[in-house]
Amino acid sequence: MRIKLTSVMVDDQEKGLRFYTEVLGFRKKHDIPVGEYRWITVTSPEEPDVELALEPNANPAAKTFQQAMFAQGIPLAAFEVGDLAAEFSRLSGAGVAFTKPPTPAGPVSLAVFADTCGNLIQLYQRM
Amino acid sequence: MLLRHDGFRRLCEARERLQQLDDPAPTIEELALELGVSPFHFIRQFETVFGVTPHQYRIQARLDRAKALLAAGDLSVTDVCMEVGFSSLGSFSTLFTRRFGEPPSAFRRRVDAADLTPGCLSLMGGVPGRSFREA
Repeated sequence: MRIKLTSVMVDDQEKGLRFYTEVLGFRKKHDIPVGEYRWITVTSPEEPDVELALEPNANPAAKTFQQAMFAQGIPLAAFEVGDLAAEFSRLSGAGVAFTKPPTPAGPVSLAVFADTCGNLIQLYQRM
Repeated sequence: MLLRHDGFRRLCEARERLQQLDDPAPTIEELALELGVSPFHFIRQFETVFGVTPHQYRIQARLDRAKALLAAGDLSVTDVCMEVGFSSLGSFSTLFTRRFGEPPSAFRRRVDAADLTPGCLSLMGGVPGRSFREA
C-alpha cells in the first residue's frame, strides 16, 4: 500500500489550476473532463511521483467544512520546502497572502498562506 | 502580503456576509465601511485571499445557490432568479451560462432527465437530497 495521491478542494478548478501551477510552481499532470467538472492533478517537479488532485468543492457539505476550517485558521494541506524563508519571499512577491510568517515550531519552521481557492496551506521546513 | 489576525477575521466575516442573500444586499462600499476599512483596501485584500473580488464572490454565491435550487426542482427558473437576488432574468441567465456552461433552463431539464446515482462526482455536484433519493 502506498500514498501516491492526495487532494485539496478548490472553489473553482480553473482558478485552482492557475494558482497551483503558475504561482506555486507545480506542474499539471492530468486534466480530464468528468461531467461538468474535471479530474485535475498536479505534481511537484521535485517529487513527480506523488499527485495532488484539485477537487471541486461544489457539495454544500464540503463548502461548509472548508469555510469553517479556513475561518479557524486551520490549514488543509502541508507542503515541505527546502528553504522556507526563500519561499516566503518568493510567494509574497507573487502576491500571495500569508496568515503566518515563517515561525519556528520545534523540529520544523512553519508558514501559512491562502491558496485563493478557499484553503489555508502550510509550508514547513525541517530544521 | 501578511494578514494580521484582525484583518483575517474581517475578511472571513465579509465572505460570510457576501454569501447571505439578504435583500437589499449591502453594497461593497457599505460592507467595507462596516468592517472599518477603505473600499479600495477591502477589495484588494479580499481578492488576494479569495482569488476574486467581493462583487464576483457574491455573484458566484448567488449562482451556486441558484444551481442548488434548480436541482432541487421545486421552483421555476424565474422564481429561482428572484430568490437569489437577481432582478433581471436576462442577466441571471447570462451569468449562469458563463459560470456553468449552460443556461439555467437547460440545466434544469438535464437534471430532471438525469438518473443521478451517489458517487464522488455526482455528489460533488451539489444536488442536496435528490441524488440519494433517486439512487
